[in-house]
Amino acid sequence: MSRLLTPVLWLVGIVAASALAFSMGGYATDVYRKLLIWVALALSYNFLFGIAGQVAFSHFAFAGVGGYAAVIFAHKLGIPFPIAFVLAIMLCATLAFVVALPSTRLEGFYLALATLAFSQLVLVVINEGGTLTGGTGGIANYRLPPLLGFDIRGPWYTVVLVLIVAFTLWVLLRMDRSSFGRACRAIRDNAVAAAAMGIDVRRVKVMAFTLTSTLAGLAGIGYAYIDNVINPPVFGLDNAFLLLFMIIVGGTGSHLGAIVGTVLLYLAPFVLEPIVGHGFLVVFGILVVLAILFQPAGLAGLLTRSPARQPA
Amino acid sequence: MSAASPLIAVSGVTKRFGGLTAVEDLAFDLFPGEILGLIGPNGAGKTTMFNLIAGVHQPNSGAILLDGARIDGMAPHRIAEHGVMRTFQHNMPFAGMPLIDNVLVGRHTRLRGTLIDILLGRRRVREEEASARQKAAELIAFVGLDQRANDDVATLSFGEGRLLEVARALAGEPRAILLDEPAAGLTAAETIRLAAVIRDIAARGIAVLLIEHDMHFLLPLAQRIVVLNFGRKIAQGTAGDVTRDPAVVAAYLGEAAGGFGGRNLNA
Amino acid sequence: MNDFLELVVSAAASGCIYALVALAYLIILRPTSVINFAVGEWAAVGAFVGVAVLTPLIWPRLEGPYWLAIIAVLVILGALGWLVELLTVRPLVNKGASITSPILALLGVLVVFRETMTILFGADPLPSPPPFGFNRVAFGPFAGASQQFLIIGATLALFAAVWLFFERTVWGRAFEAVALNRRAAALMGINLRRVTAMAFAAGAMVAGLAGLLMSPLTSAHYMMGLPLAIQGFTALVIGGVGRVEGALLGGLVLAFVEQLGARYLPIPSGLTLAFPFVLLIVFLFLRPSGLIAPREAR
Repeated sequence: MSRLLTPVLWLVGIVAASALAFSMGGYATDVYRKLLIWVALALSYNFLFGIAGQVAFSHFAFAGVGGYAAVIFAHKLGIPFPIAFVLAIMLCATLAFVVALPSTRLEGFYLALATLAFSQLVLVVINEGGTLTGGTGGIANYRLPPLLGFDIRGPWYTVVLVLIVAFTLWVLLRMDRSSFGRACRAIRDNAVAAAAMGIDVRRVKVMAFTLTSTLAGLAGIGYAYIDNVINPPVFGLDNAFLLLFMIIVGGTGSHLGAIVGTVLLYLAPFVLEPIVGHGFLVVFGILVVLAILFQPAGLAGLLTRSPARQPA
Repeated sequence: MSAASPLIAVSGVTKRFGGLTAVEDLAFDLFPGEILGLIGPNGAGKTTMFNLIAGVHQPNSGAILLDGARIDGMAPHRIAEHGVMRTFQHNMPFAGMPLIDNVLVGRHTRLRGTLIDILLGRRRVREEEASARQKAAELIAFVGLDQRANDDVATLSFGEGRLLEVARALAGEPRAILLDEPAAGLTAAETIRLAAVIRDIAARGIAVLLIEHDMHFLLPLAQRIVVLNFGRKIAQGTAGDVTRDPAVVAAYLGEAAGGFGGRNLNA
Repeated sequence: MNDFLELVVSAAASGCIYALVALAYLIILRPTSVINFAVGEWAAVGAFVGVAVLTPLIWPRLEGPYWLAIIAVLVILGALGWLVELLTVRPLVNKGASITSPILALLGVLVVFRETMTILFGADPLPSPPPFGFNRVAFGPFAGASQQFLIIGATLALFAAVWLFFERTVWGRAFEAVALNRRAAALMGINLRRVTAMAFAAGAMVAGLAGLLMSPLTSAHYMMGLPLAIQGFTALVIGGVGRVEGALLGGLVLAFVEQLGARYLPIPSGLTLAFPFVLLIVFLFLRPSGLIAPREAR
């Protein structure tokens, strides 16, 4: 399936996704907004895990850092929102870089463990942050201030989230369909051969980690203003696992797969929970095992069954 | 054919792994445009020597010079940047990419666009990509794999994988190329193609260092040959010199009947 | 002073549990290179099996003797470990998949186990009776709950048994051989599939016993698996992946740092939750080979 992502297609996609926002009631809007954030996170995580081959459990932690930083800068420290936003992104990027530098030296799954430890540390810091982070209760009672004279409310905020997803996808596609994306895949497939071809493995790994984690931070900022409440549990390990599962089931390394997997696994519980209660997680776990065993290309592989691969 | 000064000069190189001396006091030169064969019984130190030049290992003593500048101890990717590319003894393709992308990775050092350029969609990046694709397509045709350009590398035969290794290494337009047993597992037709490819590479002025066990393939191809045994150089010269050298024959007496194939080559 | 000595006993007991989980990782990791995070869930299963055999709270409500609980744990966990290997790991190894595939698949298995336990046993913690009762016991200056001493004693015994297995038995040497060089071991006639199956079964059994031993102190709860998996892995990294003794040392170091730190460092108690992660990071980056160097020279 070859796709020319012309500006027209982008516009149509954004408008369609935004139009949905205007046709929804309150409950559906909340679900849709959170789904959009999950899609944004899944897209960037898919690049890190599926394309760059780095198994990391820190993605939600960076979303948390982004969200909390923006809220703290803008509402606890009184910094004007645009500056708070930029500072939050910069904090995320810096932290991601600092974490990436030593972590990318680690082999395979030890990277996963280091990022897991990091994400748990972030949680502990948030939980113990006292009045600054609101501790275990989190922070509430803030609102997105008017930007450029506009008070962004209701479905218009959903449009903002659609734009975040579009931006994330756009950046990732640029990264993917380039020598950088090829370098990431080469390192994923065979790091020794990649180095022999002149790729600076450490550097590429650090850049991939830093960029995708910063995109996670951006999604986290978007998340913070959905309910105007931000608290620790959502950035925990359970969601990190779920994100990983979404990518695996959707199709590791495929942007479409990330979207499909996320939509499916995010919406499925709404359908399944009334019927099987917690059992839906058992279903997810089994799906993950089945995907790894029988269909590594995931659902996306089933949907786009074609012999020739897309050029990078 | 050969220039006055060597492109790569190996002098006094020794490499030990724990108690084992893999290479000892090895010295030889590689000139631009020549095909230099590196032969020796199993375990003689040939691949170790490759790995030393390619930066995978650092010598315990001695020096490796590229155009007069030391490259021993440099990281593999830096050595590739300096124009020395290599293939591997066992196929090491990038399994998650189609064939043409594998070759494109080989061109990495020639693509100067940075990540910022990529994100900003700079024209230079697009132009480099387009020209890189063209070059990759040419190389794929050059090694005879043009039918397979968009295929999954998992579907390649072993011989096709060997040819991919060569195409990938060439994509970077190197000054020197290290080929580690490129003919292993090739069909007769593929072998003939490969010999033509190697001659063509040397004709372009690229220095070729070639490890081979298949003497039928190597002897007509290599202008000079260096023979290793137990990590030391035991002979050096033309194919004729080397096949007549008693030390070389003795070293190979323990080998399987292949050896020199019983042929007495006079050139 | 008594305070401190009680803390020592408590830390030793916790450390032994961590050590057992680390041992479970190690038994599986060495011959297969697979990091099996589901060991935490297997410990939880062991705890629930204990409750099922020893109390009337879960079917079959046996209220039976302790030795029966031990046997039940060994049999059930051994079977589960063997089954998981057969269904999720072996097909991947046969396909020649990379080493991350089984590890990720086991994360799926982890979730399946945890949620199944929630469904079967509910969300409330279930208490498990200590075989030697709730009395306090003293060995010289060291005093603590009888269960804590049982944990320490049982752990030492288990470690001794596993150490002897690896050092002195033919199968144990086979494990070592596979760990050092898979291909050579296969060429020497060692049945790789059987070693892998045994590794998973044995690892599961050790994890199950850890859960059984800790449940009188912490109750059986479906959430207990994941923190245990993290702590056990941290203990493994601290002690070093290469040697059995390392797992024991790692567990004790982790527990002592945790509990002594919580007690004597002037920091808010919530921050003590960070200790295992700080230690994990420190050891991953600064001393990845752990405190006890592995046997083979790299």
